[in-house]
Amino acid sequence: MGIFLDLSLNGLFNGALYALVAIAIVLVFKATQVVSLAHGQLLSFGALFFWFTYVAFGLPLWLSLLIALVCGGLLGFTVERLCLRPLIGQPLFSSFLMTFAIFMFFDGIFQLILKGQALGFPDFLPKGIIAVNSTKIFVGNLWSFGICLGVFLLIMLVFKYTKVGLGMRATAESHKLAQSAGISVRRIFSLTWIMSACIAVIAGITLARVMDICFYLPWGMIKGFIVAMVGGLDSLIGAVVAGLLLGWLEGMIAGYVDPFIGGAIKDVAAYVILLIILLVRPYGLFGLVKIERV
Amino acid sequence: MLPAGTFNETYGQDTAVIRTPLQWLMTILGCIFLLAVPLFAGYYVTYLINYVAITIIAVMGLQFVMGYCGLVSFGQVAFMAVGAYSSSILTISYGWPFWASLPASGLIAGLIGILGGSPALRIKGFYLALATLAIHYIVIWLVMELEITGGSTGLHPPSPTLGNFVLNTDGRMYYIIVPTMIVMTYFAKNLTRSRVGRAFVVIRDNDLAAGAIGINIFFYKLLAFFIACFYAGIAGSLYAHWVQVVHPDQFLLTESLFFVGMLIIGGLGSIVGVFFGSILVRLLNEGVLFAVPALGAAFPALPSHPAASISVSIFALIIILFLIFEPRGLAHRWEIFKASYRLYPFSY
Repeated sequence: MGIFLDLSLNGLFNGALYALVAIAIVLVFKATQVVSLAHGQLLSFGALFFWFTYVAFGLPLWLSLLIALVCGGLLGFTVERLCLRPLIGQPLFSSFLMTFAIFMFFDGIFQLILKGQALGFPDFLPKGIIAVNSTKIFVGNLWSFGICLGVFLLIMLVFKYTKVGLGMRATAESHKLAQSAGISVRRIFSLTWIMSACIAVIAGITLARVMDICFYLPWGMIKGFIVAMVGGLDSLIGAVVAGLLLGWLEGMIAGYVDPFIGGAIKDVAAYVILLIILLVRPYGLFGLVKIERV
Repeated sequence: MLPAGTFNETYGQDTAVIRTPLQWLMTILGCIFLLAVPLFAGYYVTYLINYVAITIIAVMGLQFVMGYCGLVSFGQVAFMAVGAYSSSILTISYGWPFWASLPASGLIAGLIGILGGSPALRIKGFYLALATLAIHYIVIWLVMELEITGGSTGLHPPSPTLGNFVLNTDGRMYYIIVPTMIVMTYFAKNLTRSRVGRAFVVIRDNDLAAGAIGINIFFYKLLAFFIACFYAGIAGSLYAHWVQVVHPDQFLLTESLFFVGMLIIGGLGSIVGVFFGSILVRLLNEGVLFAVPALGAAFPALPSHPAASISVSIFALIIILFLIFEPRGLAHRWEIFKASYRLYPFSY
């Protein structure tokens, strides 16, 4: 029982990190209908900014966090303005390929900066262990879990109660209708990218806390992508639920299946789950089902 | 666009790929030149042409599924791996000759491609793109874990033989790889002009309309995947017997992404575009490999092996520029150029 609880908790903590990345992707999709691969790099550069300010220059935590957020937001804004804005009106597929090209472009720069090594990342969250019976809970993990939930709630509130959120929801519904109702769709696009870049930065920092800044960090996005797909690309709740679910399942498989079968099934488990869920529900668990019939 | 003064008067003329005597002359001269290259070109050029030709075969398969049928696939390299491994296993474990294992590996890759493409029956667009990504990871994982594929040690397929003649050098493999590429190109060019190719295009442009006019969408989508993976399998088999080593690390996801990029640069929905995209990107990669040591000497701050990262960045930058300024790719520019000289001197 103790092992089960340990595995579950660990899986849920990982799942929260996936969910955070997924939220950033879902946010962009909801407002702009673009599925963004570029977020993999937004999150790794966010972690890099934080590393440079916090570790290399030794600034205080809040200041370096602020700088990382501002730089990440700027990066998101620039990406949208320079690369995605010219593609408005073209097939969505080309925007998708564009984000993929952006991913590759920054990936090259990222690898140049890393020079083939991993940058050690400090555990900046409060340390400590809470022991309940035989189960240990790391306070740092609890914090990152809390951060994820906090960001999610914040986004939900923004979507529900502010004018910007209303504009975003309207834009998601239809660009043309939103435009004719007096909403500046361009401004909404920029704002969305800035917001989701900031979330990606937070996700990047919390991810890097666990896995350091290594060459593999940008590919953490793929897990977030899977989560977004499983949950449904246009559903924020779906992102969180699917993230926790996937993390938990991965933990279970790592703990109970891997030792018996051998080989790292955990690594492909997410993809298999994704395939199964997409075959059963093509628009994800919570996604809006578009009905098309011939 | 026909050259000025040439008219189609019979059905045969209308359907011909090569239309005028001048085009025939250029085609034959081009083929002779291509086949004569290893006789006078050095080792490096032959190697490069082999490499590019294999890339062209793989990308041409992707062109069917992505450019013509509109289904995004990030799994092309995985199916190349399937072809390479099945060809190696057939020749090593079962003692098949290369000439039998080459088409067989194409068929095996194609059949597995149908399995891999089956999500396309239910899902579309981005969801499908990610599903093919999942298939890539699953295939590579299987290759790593299964016993028959040699896991992380890989396999060493033998060189093809023709009687007592062993095709074990770049120059000799050239005479298998390049003719295969020409045959595959001819097949692709004709397929796109047939009923099948037109069905693909309708499905890409509007699948609801395609269903409404009686095209069996499921059948044609699976057929597109089958053809794409058949091409990938052939390319993989050629690659395996050319470099004589197969290893999971040769089939990275980035390679699939490069293939997609080549399609965009060359032009989606065009067979000529495949040539432009593949040749441009591969030459660019080689150029970066040459240029980077010089860069490293000029800027010592750069890491010791930056070639890979810089080439990735440059490649991505070119894709970005193409997407913004010429989304229809080099093939479109080529069409404009062709029209301009064919209409000369009547350029209206």
